[in-house]
This record gives sequence, structure tokens and C-alpha cells, in this order.
Amino acid sequence: MTTLTRQDLNFGQVVADILCEFLEVAIHLILYVREVYPSGIFQKRKKYNVPVQMSCHPELNQYIHDTLHCVKPLIEKNDAEKVVVVIMDKEHHPVERFVFEISQPPLLSISSDTLLSHVEQLLRAVILKISVCDAVLENNPPGCTFTVLVHTREAATRNMEKVQVIKDFPWIVADEQEVHMQEPRLIPLKTMTSDIVKMQLYVEERAQKQCLNVP
Amino acid sequence: MVPPQCVYFRMLYHYLDQKRKEGSARLHATYLVSGKFVENGTTSHKVSVVREDQLEDAKSKMSLTVSVHVYSVQKAVLKDSGPLYSADYDAVKENLRNCSRYSAIRCADAVPRSSAEVQQACETTQAPPPETEQIKANHSNLASKPTSKQPKGIMGMFANKNVSKNQDSSKEIKLEQKEVTPVVETSKTKPAPKTNPVTNFFAKQAAKKPDKSIKEEVEIAQTSSSVDEKPTSPPPKAETPVKEELAKDAVVEKDTSKTKRLEHSDSEEEKNESRRKKRRRIKKPEPDSSDDEVIPDSPPQLQEKRDPSPSPEIQVKKEPVAVSHSDELSDCKRRKRRRVLKSRTFVDDEGCIVTEKDYESESYSETEDDFKFSQPTPKNPNPPKPSTGKKEEEKKSKKAAAASNKSTKQASIMGFFQKK
Repeated sequence: MTTLTRQDLNFGQVVADILCEFLEVAIHLILYVREVYPSGIFQKRKKYNVPVQMSCHPELNQYIHDTLHCVKPLIEKNDAEKVVVVIMDKEHHPVERFVFEISQPPLLSISSDTLLSHVEQLLRAVILKISVCDAVLENNPPGCTFTVLVHTREAATRNMEKVQVIKDFPWIVADEQEVHMQEPRLIPLKTMTSDIVKMQLYVEERAQKQCLNVP
Repeated sequence: MVPPQCVYFRMLYHYLDQKRKEGSARLHATYLVSGKFVENGTTSHKVSVVREDQLEDAKSKMSLTVSVHVYSVQKAVLKDSGPLYSADYDAVKENLRNCSRYSAIRCADAVPRSSAEVQQACETTQAPPPETEQIKANHSNLASKPTSKQPKGIMGMFANKNVSKNQDSSKEIKLEQKEVTPVVETSKTKPAPKTNPVTNFFAKQAAKKPDKSIKEEVEIAQTSSSVDEKPTSPPPKAETPVKEELAKDAVVEKDTSKTKRLEHSDSEEEKNESRRKKRRRIKKPEPDSSDDEVIPDSPPQLQEKRDPSPSPEIQVKKEPVAVSHSDELSDCKRRKRRRVLKSRTFVDDEGCIVTEKDYESESYSETEDDFKFSQPTPKNPNPPKPSTGKKEEEKKSKKAAAASNKSTKQASIMGFFQKK
């Protein structure tokens, strides 16, 4: 049984890589399932040995890729508590928030040979749940956009503002308007627990999704 | 006596019906429809999984509807067929070695065929499609398909083909590859001429004939899976031109769609194909290595087929080689080799057949190759550091890099991408 600590950067990087890959697939899938973009730009690809829908649009892909590239160092250092994919209506009020709560144990112990395949199995289950999540959610109004928020510790936020991980891709503190949602309903989707990471996925949904006149 | 799977169908249908009458839940169902389908004068047996709203459309397109039953029931509207595959992925995987576990069809007399018999069967099926055989096979497949998402959906399809165990194992590998199976399972809109390739596909796996039919099949799978999510709607016309295109441009298509290529990176057919191509390359340079002036076109062409992007570079680099002999090399042997390098193979001092691809720097010795098809010799001095070794070459570190190049094929593959 091997015990690795977070100082063992290689393993921390491995976990961050796994999570970022997963988040990329999850974000693409959320955009597909919630019809944020027309389904024509999506293409069936394979991840974790199951079909997933990924977008072919280069700018969208680049945006998502850059976003996660910046998030990766936070995950490595276990600074990121939540990664949230927010879907907003035309007035930039959030209608849905897909919240990935991530927690990593401070002491990572690899106790099993099948650890990574087990993790893959769990991630597959989360992907499946996202694909069928519109059973529990209501339809979004047309013309939605999305953004990604990361909830981190204070120090990490300051660091991110100081250092641009990717040039011309700055991160800013989110507006209250983007963070706060009116009358949210909580719908849990999936929880996964493994030796290297614990993740919970739930959706906060605005009770009334159609156009809302907000003073 | 009613086969048990009919009970499943009835139960599922009953459940769906009841829930809808109650109005308690909005349920969506997918149906499996099979029947005779006439396309361009050829009759085939078509099996497809369709959404409920496409059911009537699918039934009307068939000249004779043989069977319709509920395939799955779910709360969510399925935008594509992915979840149908993912849902029972784990159960399928567990029973991979035990294909007939959930199948209701059992016959003590049914034994896997030997590979010789299978090859014979392939040859006969290459003739005009034996419709009856397919209908039987497909009927048995249907019978074995569960309505709920049980693993035998995929297993039944393949287990009843009566193929040899070799093929079963290769199929099992294939089953892991999502590309083929969900398309075969969920969008069986391919008419019988294409189910032929399916049987041929698995039969030929063992024989390793392959790759064209597999390529076609895989490419068809890709195009059809990427084209739409509605199983029944891919127009048959689109498929035939796709077929033709594939026949002509299978290799080029593969090269250009690199993302799709990555998905097949672990596929058997690619390994076969790459091995095949590599074998070709190895054979051809041997007679050339002794010639000075011979510049056979075929290896560069092979190179081009394989990787169109580096090939223009190869051609560009041919010119500096031809024009400049300005480097310090005093060895005639080397110069000769340099000309031979146009064909990109030569024998170095140590007797290794090495292929050189880099023409940038004239100062390279003959042994500084980034691309070789080894024949790894027993005298490999250092274990190769493939990519870093080649980068060093670029920086003109001659001999050390040369020594490190006499190594694995991995290093040679990197050569394609390193020297730009």
C-alpha cells in the first residue's frame, strides 16, 4: 500500500489531469443536453469507453480548454472547492447551475490496483447521469449562454488575479448577479467517492425559468 | 411455449401503458423495429432502434414489419443513443466472457465454428447476400434482445452468429470499442449488404484480412454515428456515396480526421494496417539500400499516405540533399547514402538498416536518423530516448543521437512529427 502526500506533485498532477479531463467532457455534455448550443455542432466521441457528445466548434473548445487549463493548478493544490457551470438567460440571470463539488483527501493512499479503473467507472456513471438529467430539469428558455465559476479559497483567488496562467484569458471575481440565483431549487444528481477524489454533482435550478422581469 | 423474452417485452409494454394511463410520469420509450426493407431493388432485413415519435415512420418504410417491441423506457428524452449503451456498460463488461448468460436462446448442438469453417462461410457470404441466413440470424438476434437494458442486447447480436472463439475474443475487444457496437446495436439502418460486412468484419478479424472492410465499416460507423442521432433517419442514399468515398479515400480520410483517428488508436485494424504498411516499407528499402541513384517513389508514397503533413517536407528536403554536398563528410559511402536517403533507407556502419528522414542538415552523419524500421539489432548501445534523442539531432549532436536512434519503433514514429 502506497501512501502519497500532496507534496508528491506527480500524483497531484495526475488527479488534477483526471479531473480536468472529466470536467471538459462534462461541460461539453451539459452544453449538449441543456441545448445551450445547437446540437449540430456536437459530434459523438468516446471517453471512458462510452459515447459522449463533444463540440466541434474551435472557439468554444478553446474557451473550455483554456478555462480548465487555469483551473487545473487550483485543483492540484486542492484550492478549488467547487466548479460551477452556470447557464444564464438572455438577461444574464442564472437559470441553472451545475455544481461540481470537489474534495480531495489530504493524504492520498493508493490501496488498490484497480483504483483508476474504478474511478473511470464512477466517472462513467456521472456522465450517464448528466445525459439523462433533463428528466429532472425543466427546459431552459431560448438564447442561453454559459459561464464557468470556480469557488476557491481567498488566497488562491488573489493568486489567480496576479498571475495570468494563460495570456489574455483573465479571471475576474464574479458579479453578484451571476452568482446569486432567485428561488433556487436543489436537485442532486450524483455523488462519487473514491480514494483519490470525492465529487458531488447537483443542480440548482431557478424555480421560474422563463423570462423574469427583475427590477 | 413462449420464449421468456416475450414476457419481458410484454411486461415492459404493460408497465409503459399503465404509467401512461395513470398519467403519473412522463415516460419515453424507444422501440426496436425489424422487418423487410427494400432499397434500390435489394431487399434486406433491417433492424433499428427508434424513438417513439419515429416509430410510425420507421414502420411505414418497411415493406413488411416483422417485429416491434419496446426496447427501453426512460424518463428523459433521449437526444442520442449514447445513454442506451452506457446504461448497461458495466453489466455487459462483467458478462463479456459469458456471452450467452442472459440469452434465452440455448441449443446444445450449437458449437462455435472452427476458423476454417468461418473462412468458408465468409467466402460464401461475399456472394450476393444470403438473405435467409441473415433473416434467421437477425431473428435470433431479435429474440435474444431484451427489452429492458440488459446486457444480452449486444451479446445476443454476436453470440448467435455461430462464429469461432477466436472471433469471439476479437469481438470482445471490439465490444469494448464503442464505435462499432452502439452503431450496430442502435442504428441498424444498414441494409443487408452492410450486415454482410458485419459478419465479414468479425470473421475476417481472425483471418486478419481486414482492413478495408473493417475500415469501411468503421468509417461508416463513424459517419453514421456522427451524422445523426435518430437511428432511422440516415438516408440510404447518403450511405452509398459514403461507401464509395470510403472505398477510394479510406486512407486519406483517416489521415485528415485525426480526432476520429485517435479514437481508433487502439483498434485492431489500425494495428494491422500499420503493421502492414510498415511491413511494406521494410521490404522495399532493402533492395534499394545498395543502390546509389535509385529513388523509388513507393516509399515516399507510402509515407505520404500515412502522413500527408510530413511528406511535403520530405519532398522539400530532397532538393537540398540533391543540391548541396557542402558538408564535411569525406566518406564516399556517406554521400552515396545521402542520395539513397531520398529513398530514405540505407545501411549504416553497423549493419543496421536505418531510414533517414531528415534532410535539413547536411552535417548529419548517416546514422543520424529519426526514422527507422528496425530490425532492432542486438547491439543496441543505449536504450533509446526517442523524442529527446531526435531533438538533439536537430541541434546537430551527431553520434550520440545516432546511437540512441537504433532503437524502438516508437522513436521512428516520433520522427514524423519531430522534424518540421
